Amino acid sequence: MVQFFRETHIDFMQKRNYAILASAILILIGIASLLIKGGPKYSIDFLGGTEIHVQFQQPQDPGAVRAALGALGYADAEIKQFGGREDFLIRVEQQESGTKISGDILAALQKAFPSDPPEMRSIESVGPKIGRELRTASVWATLISLFLILIYVSFRFEFIFAVGAVVALFHDVMVTLGVFSLLNLEVNLAVVAAFLTLVGYSLNDTIVIFDRIRENLKVRRRENLKIEEIINLSINQTLSRTILTSLTVFFVVVVLFLFGGEVIHNFSFCMLIGVIAGSYSTIFIAATLVVEWYKKHHMAKIKQRSAVAVR
Amino acid sequence: MRRNNTFRVVLIIIALIWSGYQLYPTFMFNRLKDQANSHLNKIAQTTGLSTDEINVALRQGQLEQRIRTALKDKSEGLAAVLDEAKKLAELDDNIAKHEMRAIKRGLDLQGGSYLVFEVDLPKMMRDLAKNQDAKFEELMRSVETKAQAPNVDFFDVIAQEFGAAQVRLSRYWGNRSQTDAQIVADRKKDATDAVDRNLEILRNRIDQFGVSEPSITKQGDRRIVVELAGITDVGRAKNIIGKTAQLKFSLVKDPEITNDVIVKINEAMKRSRATDRNDSTQVASATAPVDTTQAAKVRNDEEVSVNELFPQTGQVDSGAAVDDSTLLVDKEIFEENPFSSLIGSLGPDIGVPEKNLRAVERILHTPEVRDVIPEDADFLWSNKTEQLADTKYYRLYLVKRDPELTGTYLTNAQANIGSGGRVSRQGEWEVSMEMNNEGAKTFSVVTSANVNKRLAILLDDKIVTAPNINERIPNGRAVIHGAMDAEEAGDLAIVLRAGALQAPMHIIEERTVGPSLGRDSIEKGQNSAIIGFVIVVAFMLFYYRLSGLIANIALLLNVIIVFAALAQFKATLTLPGIAGIILTFGMAVDANVLIFERIREELRGGKTVKAAIDAGYDRAFWTIFDANITTALTAVVLLQFGSGPVKGFAITLLFGIIVSMFTAIVVTRVIYDWMTSRRVMTSLSI
Repeated sequence: MVQFFRETHIDFMQKRNYAILASAILILIGIASLLIKGGPKYSIDFLGGTEIHVQFQQPQDPGAVRAALGALGYADAEIKQFGGREDFLIRVEQQESGTKISGDILAALQKAFPSDPPEMRSIESVGPKIGRELRTASVWATLISLFLILIYVSFRFEFIFAVGAVVALFHDVMVTLGVFSLLNLEVNLAVVAAFLTLVGYSLNDTIVIFDRIRENLKVRRRENLKIEEIINLSINQTLSRTILTSLTVFFVVVVLFLFGGEVIHNFSFCMLIGVIAGSYSTIFIAATLVVEWYKKHHMAKIKQRSAVAVR
Repeated sequence: MRRNNTFRVVLIIIALIWSGYQLYPTFMFNRLKDQANSHLNKIAQTTGLSTDEINVALRQGQLEQRIRTALKDKSEGLAAVLDEAKKLAELDDNIAKHEMRAIKRGLDLQGGSYLVFEVDLPKMMRDLAKNQDAKFEELMRSVETKAQAPNVDFFDVIAQEFGAAQVRLSRYWGNRSQTDAQIVADRKKDATDAVDRNLEILRNRIDQFGVSEPSITKQGDRRIVVELAGITDVGRAKNIIGKTAQLKFSLVKDPEITNDVIVKINEAMKRSRATDRNDSTQVASATAPVDTTQAAKVRNDEEVSVNELFPQTGQVDSGAAVDDSTLLVDKEIFEENPFSSLIGSLGPDIGVPEKNLRAVERILHTPEVRDVIPEDADFLWSNKTEQLADTKYYRLYLVKRDPELTGTYLTNAQANIGSGGRVSRQGEWEVSMEMNNEGAKTFSVVTSANVNKRLAILLDDKIVTAPNINERIPNGRAVIHGAMDAEEAGDLAIVLRAGALQAPMHIIEERTVGPSLGRDSIEKGQNSAIIGFVIVVAFMLFYYRLSGLIANIALLLNVIIVFAALAQFKATLTLPGIAGIILTFGMAVDANVLIFERIREELRGGKTVKAAIDAGYDRAFWTIFDANITTALTAVVLLQFGSGPVKGFAITLLFGIIVSMFTAIVVTRVIYDWMTSRRVMTSLSI
């Protein structure tokens, strides 16, 4: 039997204060970065604009590309060279003429590089109104998922578990957003999708541990354990599962990140950060919140509660 | 227990048969498509036709003809190519049959364009307005700004803004007896009708464009989403689809009237320039008329900045961005005739250097100048530039505002090469049109009443051509020529045949993926999927040995069933969708990890193998259920909110999770039960 973890007895709850401190610092750095940079770096999905990805056969000089665009009146276009220096991402702010821009730019580049005419890889053009709509829709989607989870978890568990779960999710999203801001990565529609997936995935972990806590509250109530002990026990019992599942998910996300290509690059990076944050937050954030709550409000009622177990 | 197991086995067998049935078309489609592509490439190589052209010809049943024309000059190889074409045609029928039930690939995988059109409500309302005074302009401008906010209805804003300014809507739309609410309701209906009608017209145009299986759907009340798979020339497609294609026939004003107006514009400009300089004494009297019919006038051109011409730019600027480009100005007459200095002559017409277009446009829109242009006429531009020496010119025409005839009477339009003669020009591409009886009658009346005048043919308020009426045209046949190439003529014929859009539309969102990126994405998706699968499978085998193998069988089944479900529900597979499947590899084994860890615990607790397995499954079930349902919840939210590719992700994730509950719990359980029923197991490889 291969086993990474034999019965562990790590006192997670004793270390919870350090963990909270670490999380707080990480999130504060993230928030500071967000504040300094004036919010997340949105992609054209949310800002509106036109983005063209062209590919040459040979590496080309960004200056020559810029010159060709300048002649068209798009001297202020953002130009990013990537891949093997053959690929260019050209971004222009939304203008009156809307979707005509892409055609003009392609034609101009094809004229400027007659010996190596670039190939159109993709065009994305989003009107400012659509951008605003997508932004509102994304915020709503996130809020609705959080709300649904709050309802489901409080229905299946106790309300405080739900609060713990949602706070943990919020923690994950904040950490990921902060990392994105620090690394200057763009938040696009796919990243929002990744956020929502993380919300679901990270909760998966939380629920497994909560489930164990609930079970232990019931099974071990005669042993008169403290809530910290019960939670510690539960975390330790599920630790090997938590690590294993996180590992398999982590593996596939790394594969996506390395081999999935530029189209879903930000998506997979978001998942990568989120998977790490998610496993950590389950143990240290969600469980900690439950402990604190129980200690303040609930100690007296534990026995009663567990007697009328939720299920 | 035994009976229960029989039921489970039957369930699994049904699932497998169903999966095979659902996936067979996809399998066949991919195989046949590969064969077809090899034929297609061979034909393209020998004939020099593009694959697009071959596909269009194939669909219209004219491939053989096309090949014969293409290979006219060489006789060898024709038989072989025709043989390829025959095979291709046969395959094509077969492919179409399977394609209907095959898993659809998203535009991001096969390449193509996703376009969202929105009815241009501001323009529609302007077009419908009875009169457009200064107050109207002011109100409409503020309406347009406010309507930019998300989730506001354009008509609500109109009602609000006009209401706030205490202007009744009946002043501009509907009739006086109608209340504001009625007028708004009517216009809303106009807009909805226009979208429905536009949808039909778009469908017609796209059908003629030759895209396979285009998807054209309405989104909300004001938008139309067009999805074109596999097109290569996106610019041309956008041009054809989005063009309003409003055809009008309008009389060109006589040259004397035009000259007279130009003189008046010169005066008006001088007056306003004089006032601007606070130099009111220098108002000049009438100046010599500019003879626009004089050809090849010597110009003393110089570059002048826009600011020189418009001393107080802010005042004349009609909302357009201030441009700091230079103008081509005839300096000699600049002081005396500022307007004439910006324009020249091009044959019988006014020719305006491309550089001066914006400036001239702005002058024509200033209130002082507008006052001197006759009420019933408008200055309109030609639709393209003409090169003369080293300058590009647009023609500028003064035409009667009310058209004599519109494109609604058209019954047909064809692109052809002119045969020469009275209305046609030898060897040039042109579009000949036919009208119905009513149109022909009107056309006959108009042409007979205006012999020796010029009739401009306008497309979306740009003049394509303005031929002289030599004699009455009785049969309702008209020809458009205007330096078109074959493609332009063909495209124009398409839009004219399909008819004009009921209301103008513009593209508010475009997502286009080139064919090469699509191919790369498929490749990368496939590679990632294989690598991801192998890693997870290897990890499970390494960690859980025999039980890992059982979990892997379940995982494989999971993937198969998810694909079958995609085919069954006609869902689209996108690149994020593939990512969703890869992600489910990682997440689906979670259920088995939970069960296995639980069984290990029970074994450690001293239970027998069979009891441990039973307890493991029982205890883990609700945990698995709770954990998966939350991920499913977020997937459902994503499905509601997401656009194309994101939806593809949500759907595979959702299917993956639901199916994993079946495979990870039911399938593995059957295998364990089968193992334990054969002999009493004292140890378990887990």
